[in-house]
Amino acid sequence: MPTETSRIQELAERDSARQEDHISPTEAQSDNGDGLTLRGVSKRFGSVRALADLSFSVGRGRMLGFLGPNGAGKTTAMRAVFGLVEVDSGEVLWRGKPVRLEERLRFGYMPEERGLYPRMRVREQLEYFGRLHGLDAHAARAAARRWLERLGLAERGEAKLEELSHGNQQRAQLAAALVHAPELLVLDEPFAGLDPIAVRVLAEVLRGEAARGAAVVFSSHQLELVEDICEEVVIIDHGRVVATGDVDELRRSSRRRRLTLELEGAPTGWLPTVAGVELCERGTRNLLLLADHDVDPEEILTEAQRVGRVVTFAYGPPSLAELFLELIT
Amino acid sequence: MTSSGRVISLVAWREIRERLRSPAFLWSTVIMLVIVGGSSALPQVLETKTTYHVAVLAPAPRGLENALQRTTEPFGANVRLQVVGSAATGREQLAAKEVDALLLLREDRIVFRADVDPQLAAAADTAVGALRGHLPPAPELTTTTLERTGSETSEDAEALVAMLGAALLLGSLAVYGQWVLAGVVEEKSNRVVELILSTVQPRDLLVGKVIGIGLLGLTQLALIVGLAASLLAAGVYDAPTSLGRSVALVVPWFALGYALYAVAYAAAGALAAQQQDANSAGQPVTYTLLAAFFVGYAALTANADSAIAHLLTVFPLTAPLVLPARSALVGVPLWEHALALVLVLGSIYLIVRLASGVYAQGLLHAGSRLPIRAAWRLRQES
Repeated sequence: MPTETSRIQELAERDSARQEDHISPTEAQSDNGDGLTLRGVSKRFGSVRALADLSFSVGRGRMLGFLGPNGAGKTTAMRAVFGLVEVDSGEVLWRGKPVRLEERLRFGYMPEERGLYPRMRVREQLEYFGRLHGLDAHAARAAARRWLERLGLAERGEAKLEELSHGNQQRAQLAAALVHAPELLVLDEPFAGLDPIAVRVLAEVLRGEAARGAAVVFSSHQLELVEDICEEVVIIDHGRVVATGDVDELRRSSRRRRLTLELEGAPTGWLPTVAGVELCERGTRNLLLLADHDVDPEEILTEAQRVGRVVTFAYGPPSLAELFLELIT
Repeated sequence: MTSSGRVISLVAWREIRERLRSPAFLWSTVIMLVIVGGSSALPQVLETKTTYHVAVLAPAPRGLENALQRTTEPFGANVRLQVVGSAATGREQLAAKEVDALLLLREDRIVFRADVDPQLAAAADTAVGALRGHLPPAPELTTTTLERTGSETSEDAEALVAMLGAALLLGSLAVYGQWVLAGVVEEKSNRVVELILSTVQPRDLLVGKVIGIGLLGLTQLALIVGLAASLLAAGVYDAPTSLGRSVALVVPWFALGYALYAVAYAAAGALAAQQQDANSAGQPVTYTLLAAFFVGYAALTANADSAIAHLLTVFPLTAPLVLPARSALVGVPLWEHALALVLVLGSIYLIVRLASGVYAQGLLHAGSRLPIRAAWRLRQES
């Protein structure tokens, strides 16, 4: 029988040991002198508190998923990095120094509300943004050509932006953020509205940028994707950090565990009676359960074996999406 | 080049390149040039045959009208004789513009109002000579005028140049100001401004845009005004060639007036929420411009040397429209040129400083139209 009792026990022990290492928001607010740091940033719009003592950091060569429900303050924080929002208090630092225009020349930005010149040719547009970021004419031309080829737009370079499909306009927008080889890349919902192929291309591009040494921050609601490509995440709500750190460690630090059970021959509607276990999802043969971290998985397995044949039994930390729901709701 | 200078030139060059590709710009330049060029040929086209009205003292010699008719024929003109009882009556008719000349045969004189018409003078001389049995072209008639020579044509031409110059300035300031307004609103409504302002100071974006569009306007206006001034200097128009200088004054004063009003248009554009709001956002600036034109026009028409005319010549909002017009009408002393220049340059500096704050707040404000007071308050807070 493909049970993994000993392995489960081992995991459970390791998890309980990790409870001691739970990464609290405040503990993880250490400055990252090598990259971007937001330290105690607050911002109010009238009576609305958009950011409340927000602190997080991302180092060069790292990729940070910036997560939060709608209205949590993600866009405001990103705009604050570029001086598009004047913060009430706190600091935005790059390599330990306050961010000024000079530093921002080495940053790349993809705003939430996309926008380029609709009637301008795509190649010229990329060259223009490259030059605004300090490239000379020759370097801007070469970089624009390289990114057009890399993103599959080489043949559309002389077209006006408005003549491109929505997907290609998104690629052009991404190219405008990347054309000057930024040291920090900030992207607000870069995956929104992309087809699966474009998602894969963008994910590869972001990995490549981090590998090149850029610090990459992006917001997204596609949490499976974030879990897949990011080493670290920051989860914010109401302008405040609720969790931050390494994705795997955060999942393990959760007080809940995910339990998948595939059972044959069990009575219809069967559920384990162990305290601290709740049904998350019921399939035809599968059960997805969420259990408190201190529940012994072996008790559930034993109960299941009494009522039927256990085909699959998996126990582990929750997914990033489950963790997100746990923290936000 | 400083970072600011570099950004300003990049922004300005983008504006120039994109707009030079617009057929509207090229066609408007061609049409204006054709209008100015064509205006020199217009009088000849419209006035196919001139009719001279000539007063002569009674009794008029027999055959005089026929003789005059024959001698003016080669110029493509007709002659109508008007017999008057006395020289005084003839002078009255001449002063009242009822006749073009008064022929005093006893004194061997032909009298004109202000300027001698050489064609009519020569034709009358030949006709009278022929009538008296002399052989042309022996000069018989002396020519005199009622008024100071040159004053009439000159005054008409000066008034025309002043009015057309001011109208051209008004039109150019409004058109290029609207271009700036539309450009700002477009950048704001399609959100490209968010990307630009992540790396560029709002003031540099504002100045670059205004300079780019201004250089285009200046080029277009220089072509048109240059053609008009050249035609005037070449004597194509019936006007003193010295007026070419006053016409040329339109170009630098366009640049100054444009800088003043275009920056205000840019700030107004930044307050608009979307493309549809552009016109209403620009209205306060357009009304100020129109008011400056009409106040200046009224003051100069009433008395170009009045105290109010002097004041409007140096007042920054009216100077760009009034100074070239007044210079054509009565001349403007050097010190007034200098004072107007200093005041307008100072105002440009002030408006760039004030408007760039409003511009930055307006551009980054999403949603509904931002009232100017709110933008100002936000600027103060930041």
